Amino acid sequence: MQKQVAVIIAFVAGLMPIIGFFIPARVIRETIVGTLDNWLIIVSAFALVLGVESVVKVNVLKISRRQKGWFNSVIYLLALFLMAIFGITMGIGERADGSVTPFTWMFRAMVDPMTSTMFSLLAFFIASAAFRAFRARTVEATLLLVAATIVMLGRIDIGAALRIPELTEWIMNTPNMAAQRGIIIGAALGGASMALRVILGIERPYLGQSD
Amino acid sequence: MSLLKYVQNLDRRIIFLFVGLGTVLPIIFPIGFPISVTAPVQIIYDRIEAMEPGSVLLLSFDYGPSSAPELTPMADAVMRHCARRKIKVVGLSYLILGGADMAEAVMSEVGRDLGLEYGVDYVNLGFKSGAPAPMIRLARDFHGVFPLDNRGNKVADLPLMRKVRSYADIDFIVELAATMLGDYWINVVNARFGEEMAMGTTAVSAPRYYAFLESGQLTGLMGGLKGAAEYEVLINQRGIAARGMDAQRIVHIMIILFVLLGNVIFFLERSTKKYSLLSG
Repeated sequence: MQKQVAVIIAFVAGLMPIIGFFIPARVIRETIVGTLDNWLIIVSAFALVLGVESVVKVNVLKISRRQKGWFNSVIYLLALFLMAIFGITMGIGERADGSVTPFTWMFRAMVDPMTSTMFSLLAFFIASAAFRAFRARTVEATLLLVAATIVMLGRIDIGAALRIPELTEWIMNTPNMAAQRGIIIGAALGGASMALRVILGIERPYLGQSD
Repeated sequence: MSLLKYVQNLDRRIIFLFVGLGTVLPIIFPIGFPISVTAPVQIIYDRIEAMEPGSVLLLSFDYGPSSAPELTPMADAVMRHCARRKIKVVGLSYLILGGADMAEAVMSEVGRDLGLEYGVDYVNLGFKSGAPAPMIRLARDFHGVFPLDNRGNKVADLPLMRKVRSYADIDFIVELAATMLGDYWINVVNARFGEEMAMGTTAVSAPRYYAFLESGQLTGLMGGLKGAAEYEVLINQRGIAARGMDAQRIVHIMIILFVLLGNVIFFLERSTKKYSLLSG
């Protein structure tokens, strides 16, 4: 019975936005679909709570079993709760006088530079990996190599005499666009068919199973 | 060990050193290489230039600190352009990891620099979870989706927000995204509600959005640091993106040279192997 109720809820919740998209009746668009959209915003906020519960559980277990790197978990949990406490009790963002709240200070002084540092490491690893692995072994690899070189040069305004910047725009606007459009259309069709399977109850990921 | 073998097994720390110097030195000692402007960026500039003073631009900050070096200069340049044209800016974010703070940092800094008044010239509505549902709801009710702004003020009390209640009150949208949220904006806000929008994204993500540019769903597109630098050139205010382009130029050339060197070694090695097989 519980499963049937869940399938019916999924069916109705999946069907109403489709009906609302095609039928402009105010009662459907505003009242029913509008309410469902509001619920979705609230439910997604609860998903964040579930996420916090999950990471707390995993890290507490790691600490209690003294697994490798358990001290990192202590720091992780401390940071999680400190930021949450400061954010909830003292607010976020900037104050009217231009000073920042402790939450925003921690974000800008710690999270921001640490995340940027991790991402900037890519430049070093890409250079090293390109030197070792980017080889013209096959026709396809050669095509990729030539296109990448042209785009990299075009992006830094080099080779104007050889019309490299124009060639770069052509690569982006024509072969790249055609391939991207194919990928997007393929993914959209896949997404639509998956959504249909969920609405009809063929796939039931919300029950933790599919048949 | 032969020179060929030495170069083939080049310590990656030497490559790291080259890339590090190529990045840091041009930022400390700017070179000021020329920056050409591409059509997709010029179109965004022209569109904002054509907006009437007092019209409203929606700027969505859907990126976090990892993409900030590319996208924050775009936000800064667009915000300054709007301030000069006396265009009001409404900022918001659907990205949980720092989107609202990215908006706060850029909008406050430009606001302070140019003497803009919060709530009158610009507003940061903050973060909302569950996209694309709030994107759909904004078509009818800004005040319902964002009852409070990022600073905790009642949105209904802010002078700028009294005239912004739905997408109908927004004249142009600029979406700055490094995630799938860019797709949501195009598929929901443009395709469903017909709102005119442009996008700024990272260099890695930009190729994907050329398909939407060609279809007319995006009015314009800024891709990576180059796109940001182009916008800075257009508003005649070279900033961090233009300085960063010096470093990007040098590092791109380095990577191309490393790839060329790698391929020269590859072909030399292959011909050496062939020769030794033929000779017995």
